[in-house]
Amino acid sequence: MAIARFAVLVLSLGLSARVLAQAPAGATGTVAGRVVARADSTASVVRPAVATPVFGATVVLVGSVGRTATSDSAGGFVIGDVPAGPVTLRIRRLGYRTLDRRVVVPPNDTVRVEIIVESEAQQLSPVHTLATQTEVESFTAKPNVATIVMPARLLAGVPSVGEPDVIRIVQLLPGVMARNDFNTGLNVRGGSSDQNLVLLDGIPIYNPFHMGGLFSTFMDATVGGIELMTGAFPARYDGRLSSVLDVRSADETRPGVHASADLSILATTAQVGGALGNSRGSWSLAGRRTYADALAKTFSTDQFPYHFSDFHGHADYLLPHDWRFGVTGYTGNDALDLNLATAIGDSTVSTARQGTWQYGWGNTVLGASLGRDFTAPSALGWLLGGTTTFEQRVSTSRFGATLDVAQGAQVQRSNVRDVRATGSLTAHGATNDRSIGWEVSGTHVRYGTDSPQMGTTDFDIIQDPVSYAAWVGDLWRPTSRWLVEGGLRGERLTGGAGARDWAALSPRLSLKYFVTPEVALSAAAGRVTQTMHSMAGDGPLRFFEVWLSSDQYIPVETAWHYVLGAERRVESSSIRIEGYVKNYDRVLDANLSDDPTIRGDEFIVATGRAYGVDVLARWTPRSGPTGWLSYSYGVAMHEQDGVRWAPGNDRRHDLNLVATWQLARYRLGARFGYATGTPYTPIVGQMLRRLYDPSTGQWDAGITTLNLEPLGGARNSARFPATQRLDVNVSRDMHYRGSTISPYLSVVNAYNAHNIFVYVYDYSTDRPTRRAYTQFPILPSLGVRVAF
Amino acid sequence: MTIGCELDKTPIPPKTPQIVLEGVLNAGAPSQVVLLERARSGLVYVISPPYDTEDPVTSDAGIPETGATVTLITPSGQSIQAIEDSKVNDGKGEGVYRIPITGNSLVRDQTYHLLVQTLSGETLSAVTSVPDGIASTSVTYNPSFDRTRDTFSATWPASATAKSYLVRIDTPDGPRQFFTQGTSISLPGMLRNVDVAELPHVFFPGFQQNVTVSAVDSNYYDWFRTHNDVISGEGLINRITGGVGVFGSLVLLEYDYLQVTAPRTQPTEGTFNFTGSSFDALAVRYLSFDIYIESPAARSGQSDALSGRYTPKPRLDYHGCPVCGFLGTASGNRIELALLDGWSARDTVEVFDGQLQGDTLTGYFRFGGGPFKFVRQ
Repeated sequence: MAIARFAVLVLSLGLSARVLAQAPAGATGTVAGRVVARADSTASVVRPAVATPVFGATVVLVGSVGRTATSDSAGGFVIGDVPAGPVTLRIRRLGYRTLDRRVVVPPNDTVRVEIIVESEAQQLSPVHTLATQTEVESFTAKPNVATIVMPARLLAGVPSVGEPDVIRIVQLLPGVMARNDFNTGLNVRGGSSDQNLVLLDGIPIYNPFHMGGLFSTFMDATVGGIELMTGAFPARYDGRLSSVLDVRSADETRPGVHASADLSILATTAQVGGALGNSRGSWSLAGRRTYADALAKTFSTDQFPYHFSDFHGHADYLLPHDWRFGVTGYTGNDALDLNLATAIGDSTVSTARQGTWQYGWGNTVLGASLGRDFTAPSALGWLLGGTTTFEQRVSTSRFGATLDVAQGAQVQRSNVRDVRATGSLTAHGATNDRSIGWEVSGTHVRYGTDSPQMGTTDFDIIQDPVSYAAWVGDLWRPTSRWLVEGGLRGERLTGGAGARDWAALSPRLSLKYFVTPEVALSAAAGRVTQTMHSMAGDGPLRFFEVWLSSDQYIPVETAWHYVLGAERRVESSSIRIEGYVKNYDRVLDANLSDDPTIRGDEFIVATGRAYGVDVLARWTPRSGPTGWLSYSYGVAMHEQDGVRWAPGNDRRHDLNLVATWQLARYRLGARFGYATGTPYTPIVGQMLRRLYDPSTGQWDAGITTLNLEPLGGARNSARFPATQRLDVNVSRDMHYRGSTISPYLSVVNAYNAHNIFVYVYDYSTDRPTRRAYTQFPILPSLGVRVAF
Repeated sequence: MTIGCELDKTPIPPKTPQIVLEGVLNAGAPSQVVLLERARSGLVYVISPPYDTEDPVTSDAGIPETGATVTLITPSGQSIQAIEDSKVNDGKGEGVYRIPITGNSLVRDQTYHLLVQTLSGETLSAVTSVPDGIASTSVTYNPSFDRTRDTFSATWPASATAKSYLVRIDTPDGPRQFFTQGTSISLPGMLRNVDVAELPHVFFPGFQQNVTVSAVDSNYYDWFRTHNDVISGEGLINRITGGVGVFGSLVLLEYDYLQVTAPRTQPTEGTFNFTGSSFDALAVRYLSFDIYIESPAARSGQSDALSGRYTPKPRLDYHGCPVCGFLGTASGNRIELALLDGWSARDTVEVFDGQLQGDTLTGYFRFGGGPFKFVRQ
């Protein structure tokens, strides 16, 4: 009830502001329309049925700061409260020619326009101005604090590790830290990798990684773009303490059926897509499978009994009466099926006595959305503005992992599955875009270890939390210089027996002030909460997150974000600097000593703080190299009972320089990174773990192997040396019978820098030693992309 | 592709050695043993002579802390001084401190204090409380546990003050041990040993294997269920003040002794007894092999894995086991057997390499010469 009262209050405040702001204005109208694509056409009014909707096109009201709309999956857009009379719309979309369209807005009425944009796929350099102009418009339309938007084609050409990977590119952005080369987990502004809400078309995906974090689940061909929010995110987002990464599926906007294939040394990815139902929609399907297992079997006597696979599908369709329908599905699996007895290789001696390991894990995501724009009846115009956008989404997301050691001698299972319904209503007005949203989700969590062979269960944690959330938001444009986005999110967590009954209100506020049309100052603050927590720990490798929900034993994590920034952005370049403070009122660290027979000791409850400065400079001139330079300075600290320690992701300095260059048919890419070391706990000694025999009273009787236990010093009291790495990439586009063939060569760590991954100690001699193991050595990889 | 490089070892400064204490009050033992040693810190070059149960620290690659004063204070306030084994056993047993108190005199659910002072002045202290439960004084013998068919089951009375129950099965590859909160256990004969990296079976045909169940206190439970992470060095629960280690207590509740068998259907399997001339009978040191196929080959080119028992010839200079285990391989007609020192694969006393022709196994011993013939019974 309190939440509902507050929502009404905020809406009322928004209405008051709108009424005040509108009072002196003249007559206004609404521009509504669709952006569609047709090859080799010029802008003209067409019937909707003959062209493909263009999703994600930015429609700007030229000459007006902040008047921007983005076309939805059906190509639809609405800009409300436009001054009556002639205005110019500018439509931009990566891969299409930018065009200006002049329309006349009738007073107190709606003008409907449909615009065809022309594909520029053959003419464009891959990373050029259109990509950044999306950001320019985003810069003018939203406070956009701590937010980075990146279209897919800007990701092209960046050197890859075996397989192009969007998450590895995200790691090159400011505020985002890669713990080491082997991990695609994200550490954002001092947060651990479970503090990131990763979304696929708005659907949470719990563990978007393969192969122990080496690769992400996102296939390059399926990624249409990303939006990364590293702090103080709007009220519509919550559930994680540090960031939101929204990965948008790529839409096949061209008529006809198109396909592409990407063959790398690691995997083959195939994608096919096209128009749907007389151009009322689009579809795409993609799949990927690694084949190191098959290669090992074919070309050597070694065995590599591991592979992963992904399947992704996405479709949009425009239903009768302009209802937009979209569906996204994804499933991916990792499978390790290792029979030690049959494993052979140069370094492996197997015997018939040995047992098996079976390890499988994967995500499944399925979601559908329904949306429509409404023109508000005049009687409700005061409430809903010129137009109102309704969206409703239902989705389910699952992550499961099963480790079976020795055919049921010991089995560990971790499963999390949710069913979620989210919706929103956004009223577009002259000075305000007001939103209200809702979310209901039920989650089933199960984590346990048992032995089917012995019929015993070590522990079995079952949780069924139910959460409700409602939020209100208001993007207010009081003057041409100010953008104010306020919001409030109310949440409640409950469930069955053992659940935590928790409720909270989380306010959010972002401000942006335009000193000039190209220079803006921004500030933001907000409270965030997290009710799902990972037991993966603070180690340098995270195979996957083992999720547990807040319950009567596990508290809800909370933090406050504060961000101050300044940004200068023009069409071909931008620079942004942001300072941040993140105060953790409650943050959970996995308890390495937890007793599986006791509930409540799974986590150590700590407080913490992270602060720092992020800088991002990007340039996208019409010719020459394009790219970005990111620099992050960060400090992170956790504290419990007066003991303070730096979490394993605490890195002081992180610099990345990324550049791509189109030279005729060659595309060159390079990335250089320099980062100071992360903390680790030095090993200060080793002791033998002796076993006691209760039947004889003797120590170590009957054992065959001496187990050495490392003794750690002060927690994370040492730091690894600084790391540096240069990656380069070259590809060439060749055209043959309507297809484009692009072989590429990537070299990771081109000069084979020895970046330390871990140290292994030996204290068994009177000259103790430490051996270092490095991160990636020099890694060349070859591949070819074929598109037609 | 993703494996990083291994760089050369670089020397690092030695660290201050921590002192490690491992002691258990055992309600079924004739005396109580506390081990005291130094953790490896780079000050000592560690050597590892053959393991000796009477000298477990030195013979097991440890750095014994000798000459310390170890005192047990009973619930009644009585102080009992421990005696270092090396003082009374010809120098054997450095770092092994024996407290002269029998298990059956330990008072249950009462607090025992352990105080240690080293020669260099360090002091350590710890407490434990012996859980209740009736200590087992007998061994239940199962003469024919067919691992392909049988499941070992045991039930024991609950101990109200035990933190958990420790189940231990002795295997040739080392013990399989785990904790359970229940008061019964079922161990199928084909169970695998997840405490050993190669995941071998727990039960080996031909072997004699112990199964014990003990009620343990929280110190014992927390020490043996936790480990330090190999990279971070964190995770172990240590309740020793002034050092690292465990001072726990337990009561042995159940003690079973299994003679593991399995059906023998393959030509390699069987009982082979020594046959030979009087001269050979004088020279041979082993009288019979009881051979089982432990695991058949899992791929082409691989040998069958064998297990079983052998009988040494009684002689005056032999003080080992009267019947012992072996592990081996069979590839075609070739049989190779590693004769173990007792029932553990830790030490091999002899290797037999022979050929099976029909019912006759002929071969040589690495140390004992040959050829000797063994004929299927």
